[in-house]
Amino acid sequence: MDPSFIIAQLISGLTMATLLFLVASGLTLIFGVGNVFNFAHGSFYMLGAYLAYQTVSSWHTNFWVATFAAALGAGILGMMAEFLFLRRIYGRSEEGGFQILLTYSFILVIDDLVKLVWGTEYKSLLRPAGFSGSVHVGGLTIPTYNLAIIAIGLIVVVLAWLILSRTRPGRIARATAIDREMMNAMGVNVPFTMTLVFGIATALGGFAGALAAPLRSVTPGAGIEVIIDSLIVVVIGGMGNFWGAWLGALILGEVNAFAVALVPEWASVFSYLVMVLTLIFKPEGLFAARGVRKV
Amino acid sequence: MADTGRYKDLTFWVLLLLIFGLLPLVKTSSYQLMLANHILIWGMFALAFNMLFGVTGMLSFGQALYYGLGAYSVGMMVKYLGQSWFLPGIGLGLLLAALLSVLVGLLIIRVSGVFFTVLTLAFGQLAWQITFRWYHFTGGDDGIQGIIPPGILSDRTVYYYFTFAVVVMSIWFMRRLARSPLGLTLRCIRQNPERVHFLGRSVRLNQLGIYMISSILSALAGSLMAGVDYSIHTNMLYWTTSGEVILMSVLGGIGQSFGPFIGAAVIIIIEDVVGARTEYWSLIIGIIMMVMVILFPRGLVGEFRALRSRLRSLTVQKRG
Amino acid sequence: MLRHKYVVVILVVLLALFQVPFSLGADEKIIKIGAIYPMTGRPGLYGLDSVDAAEMAMEEINSKGGVAGYKLELLNTDSKLKPDYSVRVAKRYIDEDKVHFLFGVVSSGVGLAVTEVSKQNKKIFIGTDHASTRLTVDALQPYYFRVSNNTFQSMAAGALYLKELKQTKPWETLAYIGPDYAYGHDQWDELKYNLDRFGVKYKVVGEYWPKLSAPDYTPFITSIMNDKPDILVSGFWGGDTVAFIKQAQPYGLFEKTLYFHPDAGGNYELMSATGSELPLGLVLGARHHLNWPETELNRTYVDKFYKRTGRYPSYAAEGAYAGIYAIAQAVEKVGNPNDTEALVKALEGMKIKLPEDPEGFTSYIDPATHQIVQVQAIGETIANDKFPPAKRMLGNWKVYKAEDLLPPKEYIEMKRKK
Repeated sequence: MDPSFIIAQLISGLTMATLLFLVASGLTLIFGVGNVFNFAHGSFYMLGAYLAYQTVSSWHTNFWVATFAAALGAGILGMMAEFLFLRRIYGRSEEGGFQILLTYSFILVIDDLVKLVWGTEYKSLLRPAGFSGSVHVGGLTIPTYNLAIIAIGLIVVVLAWLILSRTRPGRIARATAIDREMMNAMGVNVPFTMTLVFGIATALGGFAGALAAPLRSVTPGAGIEVIIDSLIVVVIGGMGNFWGAWLGALILGEVNAFAVALVPEWASVFSYLVMVLTLIFKPEGLFAARGVRKV
Repeated sequence: MADTGRYKDLTFWVLLLLIFGLLPLVKTSSYQLMLANHILIWGMFALAFNMLFGVTGMLSFGQALYYGLGAYSVGMMVKYLGQSWFLPGIGLGLLLAALLSVLVGLLIIRVSGVFFTVLTLAFGQLAWQITFRWYHFTGGDDGIQGIIPPGILSDRTVYYYFTFAVVVMSIWFMRRLARSPLGLTLRCIRQNPERVHFLGRSVRLNQLGIYMISSILSALAGSLMAGVDYSIHTNMLYWTTSGEVILMSVLGGIGQSFGPFIGAAVIIIIEDVVGARTEYWSLIIGIIMMVMVILFPRGLVGEFRALRSRLRSLTVQKRG
Repeated sequence: MLRHKYVVVILVVLLALFQVPFSLGADEKIIKIGAIYPMTGRPGLYGLDSVDAAEMAMEEINSKGGVAGYKLELLNTDSKLKPDYSVRVAKRYIDEDKVHFLFGVVSSGVGLAVTEVSKQNKKIFIGTDHASTRLTVDALQPYYFRVSNNTFQSMAAGALYLKELKQTKPWETLAYIGPDYAYGHDQWDELKYNLDRFGVKYKVVGEYWPKLSAPDYTPFITSIMNDKPDILVSGFWGGDTVAFIKQAQPYGLFEKTLYFHPDAGGNYELMSATGSELPLGLVLGARHHLNWPETELNRTYVDKFYKRTGRYPSYAAEGAYAGIYAIAQAVEKVGNPNDTEALVKALEGMKIKLPEDPEGFTSYIDPATHQIVQVQAIGETIANDKFPPAKRMLGNWKVYKAEDLLPPKEYIEMKRKK
């Protein structure tokens, strides 16, 4: 393999990784920080794509406005779902199990609602103006939109890390996840915090959906397709750890990129294999701090 | 309390034996036979899952792995070696499930809670992906057809009674297990693992044991199913199949002796009724699930029992 | 709280019942057709189009008085892409609803499971979409008939196209990318078989197998460009085709390599989803084209569908349309829908004029394989906005004779032996 091919694969792996990360970032937030397992995270990703499509189609706005609208819409819907439904099962014994079941039912409902509203035809979203071409660097061709995505991914991970670890609201959010009662006793409005965090997580999901839409087709059923991959990233990187998720996604992206080049027959099995191996040797995730091994 | 428990058990047993035992004689079409057969098998699968989740609190989103393993053991034996290898195929499925569940169990029972769940999902999907893409060997997305049970079992009614017998025996075994010392230990582990550990019992070993048993029975369910439909498909290994069995358990009532079986019956019947009339079955099942989780977490059976004791205590109050 | 809970239950039950339209069937002379199509997820599009086209065909026939005094009626259930569930649905259709025909399916996995039920219960199954060659070769049973072409026929046409191409644009190397499951692999195997059969020399420089519905093709794209194949053969369908083309386009892949996608590439949903983003000069085939052949029958079919549904049909619709007409023609000949054996005989060798038949040709069902024999057309993407929202359609057609595309006896024997 010549060096320019290696670099090309590295960059395409990075693109793939960033998209994986962006989609998984919301799940990392809600699962790792909020301690809520939102199985329907992929459905909010899908909603984001449809909302972005609808914004452009109804109001002919530019792409970035549509993306913002998608994130906002997904966030609001997420908060409604949390407030109306998810909240009722907090504090139950076996809460984890019920969370999984309830959010699984969200997937079913959202899938059909999307079909009702938008039908089954494939919708399409164009790349934003100015980003439809590519740059040529030393014999390599890199689409400019891909570069934009990589940049956005880095911005998200840095912002998330800063907010969660350096700001007061971030620390409160993390603490609330660990011990709701204690935070309540300390005067924090726990229900409001939970709803807000959930909303931000779903907004991130919707944002990722809108960003990814120009590269993929906007179809029903997209929710179920991405949830497993997002889960793999979150688990490999460690729950609640944004840098972990980004690095986990990077590992997956690059492993995939080189598997495709070297052993194309088996590339599809690789991401599951990485997940399984990580979980066997370091179940709390490659970059997590707290251990989860039990008695 | 123990008395009423056994009393309720008896009711269920009688109903089960009567309804499913006599069905072939009163049915009006062979579709009803297939439906009942499906209910028996899914019911057993759901009860096997319930042993893990309901009794021990371990939420596995990967039981489809064993279900599919059982189905494919039978399917592949028949495909490559012939019809007479159907029953040995079932045996092979049980053996492989035992081996695999020990290996996987040792790896994943080290963690608890959502991590455990995610790991089971990972293993399940890995198995699905391998089976799906290794289609030269397994048939992949085409599945395997023409799996007809040998000898007298090729008659649908005879096979139905065969399934019925196997399922009844398995359920009896599971009930005994739930009341055995192992079952008691597992319920204690669910409430307070540390205490059990301090009492000198190995938490992990017990959990591994129940994981094995649950998985072996799931494989048995899968094997039986192959002989009902005469075909199998990689779909049986997909995570949504694991999701279905979880849904059935929740609907019926987790941890409520026969709840999951009833949940399976209700889901299968609803699927057929609703699926026939509307294309929005996803929405309906989703709403039902939401209602169950939020308002009726004890499931149909659990809520029914709670309602009954509430009514009873009301009448007692009135009298007194 | 107790009281509230039960109110919710009543509401939910009412909601469920409200969703459920009860059909009151009169006991007239009716031909019941039990359809099984996916109505959800990615293939939901094909299911929806198929049902719409089937109902359109039924209305056309019923308004002319029906067939031999019978009216046609369609029952449809979502297959959910689950073979075990579909088997139960098929059984219910046969035993409870007493259908005369089983109809449909998009997924070959479901098709193979349902054909088993059809065989066991001696009920005619009209396949309208799924393209696995197996159903008319090694899994063939007497009651199965397919009215849309299989992958072998598409790939045979593809091989002939590639053979002709050598005359005008000499090429040497091929690469293949397709979804990593039976459908993807079968197409590639069948193309190679046909290239060998027609004596075409080629060199394979890369084979790529992304997961079905994989969202990201970037590493594949860069890898393919490194291989520098003259021709990239593609086996995607639906959303995967759209995603791949969208992702590959800024890399300039389509300027460096000829994109060749003979089975499902030319599907209308690709054109409507990509609009002017779709590059020109891609060579695509499909099982039915909206703008070829330009016969009255095809034009009328497409226009009627558009008037009825507000959108243009994907290829799957024509299969369903053909299926209904095939049933009508068979019942017309036999006189009633109950004599299954006579219907089978009527279908074997039956000639039926379809929207996809060019002037001078009529599709017919091969009695040996129960597979419909049709002309295939492969075209290039050119600018054309007559079918909005698409901005590209196919043109510069190359047409291939139906008889040239059938699997030869040796192939059938080889497959049956396995």
